[in-house]
Amino acid sequence: MTAEKFILLVEDNELNRDMMVRRLNRAGLKVITAGNGQQALDMMQAEQPSIVLMDMNLPILDGWAASRRAKEDERIRHIPIIALTAHATETHKQYALAAGCDGYATKPVDFPALLITIKRLALA
Amino acid sequence: MASLTGRRAIRQIMTITQNPKNLPWANSLLGEIKALRQQLANPHDEFGAASAGDISHLLDAGVRLETMLATGSQPANQHDLMNVLTAARGYAEMLREDIGATHLGIDTRLSALLTCIQTAHEDNTEQESPGNRFIQSEPGFILAVDDLQENRELVARNLSRSGHIVITAASGEEALRALEQSDVDVVLLDLLMPGMDGREVLRRIKEHPQWRATPVIVISGSQDMDGIIECIEAGADDYLFKPFNPILLQARIKAGIERKRWHDKEQQYRQQLERNEKFIRATFGRYLSDEIVTDILERPEGLELGGDLRRVSIMLSDIRGFTTLSEHLAPAQVVTMLNRYLGAMTEIIMAHHGTIDEFIGDAILAVFGAPQHRDDDADRAVLCALAMQDAMIAINIQNEAEGFPAVSTGIAINTGDVIAGNIGSERRSKYGFVGHPMNVTSRIEDVTRGGEILISDSTLQSLKHSFKLGRSEDINVKGIDETITVHQITGEEE
Repeated sequence: MTAEKFILLVEDNELNRDMMVRRLNRAGLKVITAGNGQQALDMMQAEQPSIVLMDMNLPILDGWAASRRAKEDERIRHIPIIALTAHATETHKQYALAAGCDGYATKPVDFPALLITIKRLALA
Repeated sequence: MASLTGRRAIRQIMTITQNPKNLPWANSLLGEIKALRQQLANPHDEFGAASAGDISHLLDAGVRLETMLATGSQPANQHDLMNVLTAARGYAEMLREDIGATHLGIDTRLSALLTCIQTAHEDNTEQESPGNRFIQSEPGFILAVDDLQENRELVARNLSRSGHIVITAASGEEALRALEQSDVDVVLLDLLMPGMDGREVLRRIKEHPQWRATPVIVISGSQDMDGIIECIEAGADDYLFKPFNPILLQARIKAGIERKRWHDKEQQYRQQLERNEKFIRATFGRYLSDEIVTDILERPEGLELGGDLRRVSIMLSDIRGFTTLSEHLAPAQVVTMLNRYLGAMTEIIMAHHGTIDEFIGDAILAVFGAPQHRDDDADRAVLCALAMQDAMIAINIQNEAEGFPAVSTGIAINTGDVIAGNIGSERRSKYGFVGHPMNVTSRIEDVTRGGEILISDSTLQSLKHSFKLGRSEDINVKGIDETITVHQITGEEE
C-alpha cells in the first residue's frame, strides 16, 4: 500500500500560506490547506495527510489545542505534527511538544531545515 | 488581502510586543526593502509568470513590513511580524533560485535582504532570559482579561518572562471566544469592564461543562471585599487587588496552574477507567451475557481469572453434515447462512446466561456455571438446548425462502469439573476451560443425531426440573476405559 504522501498546511495568514504552498510544491510535495484548528482536525480525519504543518496561533481553535485533540483521537494520533510558531522561546517549544507536536520550527521558517524535518517524520 | 489593523485582539499573543525602536534590525531591513523596490522598479518581462508573481508577493510583504515597523505606529504583533518575515524570506529564496544566476543586481539585493531577515530570526531566538524568573513554576497557558491595554501588556510581560504563554482579551466577549479557541490553564479576570463585566464572564465560565474546572483569579480595582467574596461564592478560585505585586501575581498563577494540572490528571484517570470498562465490555461482551459483564465490573475485587476448578455444564452443538453442505454452496452463501445460524444461537445462549467459549466453524462450545456459578446451571443448559432446537424451525423456513438447504443441529451436554481461567500465552490468552469433561462432551456430540439433544448421566443427576426423556445409550470414551450413559431429552415435563 503506497498511498500518495501529502502535507496538510494549517495557516491563517494568507501571504504565508500561499508562499509555503508554492515552495512545498516546488520541492515536489503535494499540499492541502486549512485555515484554523478545527478545520485542521476535520481534514486530518477526512483526508489522512502524511504530516501536518501547524501554525500555533490560529482562530477558532488554536494550534496547541488542535494538536492536543489530534493526539487524543485514535483515528489521527499517528499523523506527525510540526508546530510553526512566531516565538522561539524554550517555553513555546516545550508547550508545543507537551501538546503532542512531533517537531518544531520558528518563523521566519528556515525552509531547508523544515524539509529535513518533514522527510524525517513522514517521508522516510 | 486582510488589513493589518483589523487583527482580532484575542489572537495577539502578548509575549513580545515589538516596538520598532527595540528592534535593532528594523532600520536596515527597511533600507533593504526600499533598495529592492528600486531595483525591481523597471518592468522585467523576461521573468515569466511564476517569478513575476513571486516578485509581486515579495513587494507586498515589503509594504506590510514597512507599515508594521514605521516609527510612531502601534507596536507590531510578534506573530504577524514573523509571518510576514517568513513569507518575504520564502519568496526571496525562491527568486534567488530561479533568476539569481541571470540577474546579478537583483540577486545581490535579495541576498542582502535575506541577511537582514536572518538577523531578525536570530534576534527572535535570543529573547528568552531565564535569569528574570522570580518564581519557578510549570509553564501555563494564561488568559488575561482586561479592558485597558497597558494592564494587559503589563501582565503579559510579567508572566511571559516567568515562562508562561499569555493570551489577552480586551472584553468579556473576547474572553469567551478565547476560551473556545484555546486550552486555557488559568484565567486572570478584571471585574470592572464595559459591556460584559467580569462577574458575567465568571458566571459563564463556571456554567460551562468544559471550562468549569479552569481556575479563575479575579482582579478588583478597589478594596471591595464584599465584591470579592461574592465572586468566590460564584466560583472564583483566587483574587488580587490592583495595583498588585508581580511576585504575588506569579505565586497565585503558580497555584492556579497546579490546581488545573491536578484536575487534568484526575480527568485523564477517569477517562482511562471508562476506556477500561468499555474495553472489558467489548472484549467479554461477545462471549458473556450483559449481566455477567456488569457483575464482573461491579465487584470491587474484580473477577479472579487466575484458574480454578469449577463444576459446569458444557454444551456442544454442531450442524449435521455442514462440511459436505458447504462444498455445494458459494463461499459468500456459506458465510451468510452460518452467521444467521450463529447469530440466532448466540442470542439464545446469552438469554440463558451461558458463556460462549468459542465457535469452531459451525460448532458452538458454551459453558454454564463459569465465570458465575448458579444453582440451576444444568437446567439452564438443557432449556437452552431445547430453545435452540425450536429456533431451527424458523431458521430453516428462512433458509428455504432464500434457496438454501435445510439444516439440523445436534446438541450434547455434559456436567463435570473443569479448570476455568485465562488460558494461553502472555501475548494471547482468553477465558477458557480445560479438563476431561470437555472431551467427554465432544464424544457425546459424535453420537448425537440431527435435531437431537443428548445429555450425560452426570447432567441428568444435576437437573432440578423434570424433562421428558427419550432413548438412552451407552458409549465408550476414547483414551480412557470408560463407558458413560447418555439420555435423549425430548422436551420439558408439563
